[in-house]
Amino acid sequence: MHLHSAGYQNRKEQQMEQKMKKNDIILIGVILVLALLAYVGMTLFQGTNTHYAEAVVLIDGVEYGCFPLDTDVVERIELPDGSYNVLEIKDGKADVTEASCPDGICVNHRAVSRQKQSITCLPNKLVVEIRNGEASDVDAITN
Amino acid sequence: MDRGKRIGVAGIVFLILLILAVAFQQKQEKKLTSYTATFFEIFDTRTDIMGYSASQEEFTEQVSLLKDELERYHRLYDIYNDYEGINNIKTINDNAGIAPVEVSREIIDLLLFSKEMYHKTNGQFNIAMGSVLRIWHDYREEGSNNPQEAVLPPMEDLQAAFAYCDIEQIVIDEEAMTVYLPDEHMSIDVGSVGKGYAVQRVADYAKEIGMESVLFSVGGNICAVGKKPSGMEWRVGIQNPDVTSEEAHVKRVDISDGCVVTSGDYYRYYVVDGVKYCHIIDGDTLMPADYFVSVSIVAQDSGMADALSTSVFNMPFEEGLAFVNGLENVEAMWILSDGSIEYSDGFSKYAVE
Repeated sequence: MHLHSAGYQNRKEQQMEQKMKKNDIILIGVILVLALLAYVGMTLFQGTNTHYAEAVVLIDGVEYGCFPLDTDVVERIELPDGSYNVLEIKDGKADVTEASCPDGICVNHRAVSRQKQSITCLPNKLVVEIRNGEASDVDAITN
Repeated sequence: MDRGKRIGVAGIVFLILLILAVAFQQKQEKKLTSYTATFFEIFDTRTDIMGYSASQEEFTEQVSLLKDELERYHRLYDIYNDYEGINNIKTINDNAGIAPVEVSREIIDLLLFSKEMYHKTNGQFNIAMGSVLRIWHDYREEGSNNPQEAVLPPMEDLQAAFAYCDIEQIVIDEEAMTVYLPDEHMSIDVGSVGKGYAVQRVADYAKEIGMESVLFSVGGNICAVGKKPSGMEWRVGIQNPDVTSEEAHVKRVDISDGCVVTSGDYYRYYVVDGVKYCHIIDGDTLMPADYFVSVSIVAQDSGMADALSTSVFNMPFEEGLAFVNGLENVEAMWILSDGSIEYSDGFSKYAVE
């Protein structure tokens, strides 16, 4: 009787243990799938860029205005002392096409369209900078 | 607890920890955002400071410390303006032939460093050329403002001024903390080193206040603190001298805790009779050097890179190549007038292919 009972108990434990193992595997599987989903979700969410590329005009470090690169426009930026720069957005690029500064470096500069590219007009302390643009391949440029 | 259960529990605990670790790491990565501050007050140029911080507030706070430091150096190394309450390089020049000027450690250190660079470059790099550079500066300003009447300074004026360019005559008294120019015609011009030297000091200061990843660009003088938080090096483009070209840069280099400085003839110059005369003056000819369109130096120290880019710009290619190859941890890239590009022997270890 005693022996029989022990044997019965043992079998039951074995069954439970097997059931546990099965449940464990399911649980582990579910957690793994959830973790994977969460990871993929977070990665996708972080990678999403909901903003459109724009040219930001800064005068002495203060924002003057934003111009989306997908809308062609010509903006004449007047400074209090009478100097000016003309910004032109065309074909998805921002360019300074005219300016009052003596060196003309900003006018000669190529049009910009990629992230962090910029045109600087030192005499007028004006910067045209790209935000949310296509990733640039450098962090800075030495000149 | 029996063995099976134990394994099960251990497994679940392990998985939970794993998930927490992944989530935490994600949060960590997200916690550091890249910020850039841009301003114009310093060294008459554009400064960008790029860094990584937990928040915009924290970054703004750190940048204002760096900006204050840059501003302090800018005032000390200024040769054109006076500032109340401080003696700067202009004060030394104004007192040439009159009296020694008491100055701060930062000025003494810069002058000692400049003398060291003078010897290192066999006299090519010379901050005592102020009298010559001033003449060129005035003619260039005048010529830029009235392009029709732009002329070159007379050679006899330049030669007369050059009689007062002996760097060994500068009296630096480290005990009394004074600097004295014994002749009234003498003058110091640190335009080719002050900016780079200051940027290096401020980069070191950034490290001191706990910033691990910062990229300075002060008028195109690039100086990197550490690497990016991702472990990647900073990627720096070397400006295409043809600024109208679609290609923004002609070469890219990867650096960490290092500097890239370029001296070029395409931004600061004036035109006389259809010929461009740039702002970098060769001490041997007293004329603007015209061997190259630009010279870029990669080095550990920004002050050294700044001084060397000017010096190498003034050396014929073969001489400059031998000079750079003889220096440790210094590399160079030359863009010649015909657009061809030359490199020092070890440049490729920084270059991005």
